Amino acid sequence: MSKSILTAHNLTRYFQTNKGVIKAVEAVDFEMHEGEVFGIVGESGSGKTTIGNMIIGIYPPTLGTLTYKGEDLTKGANHRSKELKRDIQMVFQNPASSLNPKRTVRQAIEVPLKVNRTGASIEQRVDELLNLVELPLEFAERYPGELGGGEKQLVSIARALGTSPSLLVLDEPTSALDVSIQAKMINVLLRLKERLGLSYIFITHNLSLMRNVADRVMIMYLGKVREIAPTEEFFRNPLHPYTKMLLSSIPVITDVEERAKPQRIVSTGEITGALNVPPGCSFHPRCPFVMDVCKSTDPPLLEIEKNHWVDCHLYPNEYKKTQSA
Amino acid sequence: MSVSLVQVEDLKVEYKVYEGWLKVLNGVNISVGKGEKVGIIGESACGKTTTVKSMLRLLASNGRITQGKVTYHGDNVLEMSRGDLTNMRRKRVSMIFQDPSAALNPVFTIKEQMYDIIRISADERLSTNQVHERAVGFLKQAALPEPDRILDSYPFQLSGGMKQRVNIAFALISANELLVADEPGTSLDVTIEDQIMRLLKHIVDERGLSIILISHALGTVKNFVDRVYVMYAGTIVEEGPTDQVFNDPRHPYTRMLIDSIPKLTGGGVPEGILGQVPSYLTPPSGCRFVTRCPYKMPVCDDAMPALYSVARGQSAACYLYDEKHGGKK
Repeated sequence: MSKSILTAHNLTRYFQTNKGVIKAVEAVDFEMHEGEVFGIVGESGSGKTTIGNMIIGIYPPTLGTLTYKGEDLTKGANHRSKELKRDIQMVFQNPASSLNPKRTVRQAIEVPLKVNRTGASIEQRVDELLNLVELPLEFAERYPGELGGGEKQLVSIARALGTSPSLLVLDEPTSALDVSIQAKMINVLLRLKERLGLSYIFITHNLSLMRNVADRVMIMYLGKVREIAPTEEFFRNPLHPYTKMLLSSIPVITDVEERAKPQRIVSTGEITGALNVPPGCSFHPRCPFVMDVCKSTDPPLLEIEKNHWVDCHLYPNEYKKTQSA
Repeated sequence: MSVSLVQVEDLKVEYKVYEGWLKVLNGVNISVGKGEKVGIIGESACGKTTTVKSMLRLLASNGRITQGKVTYHGDNVLEMSRGDLTNMRRKRVSMIFQDPSAALNPVFTIKEQMYDIIRISADERLSTNQVHERAVGFLKQAALPEPDRILDSYPFQLSGGMKQRVNIAFALISANELLVADEPGTSLDVTIEDQIMRLLKHIVDERGLSIILISHALGTVKNFVDRVYVMYAGTIVEEGPTDQVFNDPRHPYTRMLIDSIPKLTGGGVPEGILGQVPSYLTPPSGCRFVTRCPYKMPVCDDAMPALYSVARGQSAACYLYDEKHGGKK
């Protein structure tokens, strides 16, 4: 669990639009370990999907390095070797739009198998994959329109598993589903991970879900990493003011959860567009602890506690004060 | 319960589609008291929105009400004259929709849209200055900074949170008694949703409005309303005081739904509810949850269970609470 497989250093992605440059992801550093569920959380426009897309190779980064098991990922998918492409697969948010409505489940799952012929019978492999995602075999001849939302998402997971990948990028895999269906989906994913020895990049905006799924959590705001910590630690001792604001904004249903939230930081202001990111720390216009330095200088990402990284001027000085007080 | 403001009785609604009639609502009963905050929770396509739309007679053209009654102050809304209905919508009731972008007209400025609504809802003729003053007042109540800039903006120039605040300001113009909020925060980020819900609560309390809050986000509803209805596949399966329903849910569906939600305190994700919501084309003739219920009994297939009282003010539509069937009452 300690072996690092995916490393991003100074990972940056800009998009040129006719209104200016959108800094979707800026100077992101992280490492992901083998067998881990690495959670990326953030609100809309925080750059979490952009990171997923770069890992899978939908577009290359503007700057920085990205490696997976020693292989360079800064090239787009077209320039990657077949083995590398097989090794990293993605599951998208909306199963209704990621499956072709005019192809049966079998036809959908067959595509990656035909591209990556492994010798085994394709028909058998489809059955095997359906078994893996715990769908009945007779679903193979059905069309997506005849399936429920959860079942459709299981089909896209089966399709992603077709090439026997070692890393799955799950981009909001349950956001389009009802909670009663989501629960089953998550359990199937966790069982698959154990059975096949997979690693997951799990992208979501849902922190309650993240709490139950991820081993480590990385939180993003306007293209920057704000905090990275092991899940337990992250929820027990959130450090960044944005994290605290986010956690205290979540509507929960039990009193136990209410007590588990950090001291309430009332949500104020709005996320600015990625077109005009504020100077200094991009969170400063909404931050209740804003200092002068925040308006001019972007804080560095520092390891405040073991494995707990925070990007905020309050640390380490202010933190030490509270710890010694 | 206080004096009833709106009463829905045994409402049945169907939608015409290519394959036939979708039998969506199947005998829904809801009542909202004066100044009461009521929530309707349930998963997608369970009939939450259809219920409130039929209450305001806003059903899509392929929908029809086949049975039931909706009364507002004792008047049957479903039989109201066009004039009375318009009057009710202009002066007493308004609705906030889920998608703030879709609820605003993209080709008119906020000013043009807002002035129209203010003029049409006013009893007397207003001068432009008066209209402007009122518009600014409503925008301020919706906690929008720089109301003059907002008025001159087109919807696309505003962020999602601001658009929803504008919708709230619009709703305030004519909501003097009842506000219907259909997933008002769902399309927004969680920190913005938090702001919008606090604002709504403040306004509702200050004006003493009744509100019907619809959401699939159980947490949002729990922190807001006094009483809650749980819907499943077009039927009310449980109702009661919010805390009671959340702390001691009785209907198997409510229990499983609450259990399915991942908790902020961890503890893993439960298995959820197996199976799918039944098709509205051929819904089960008995309890509509029967296809997914682990406590299924033979009687469940026969007829829809009535709402059995399970605790003070709380009732559940489940034969488990019927004494004839080994009820645990």
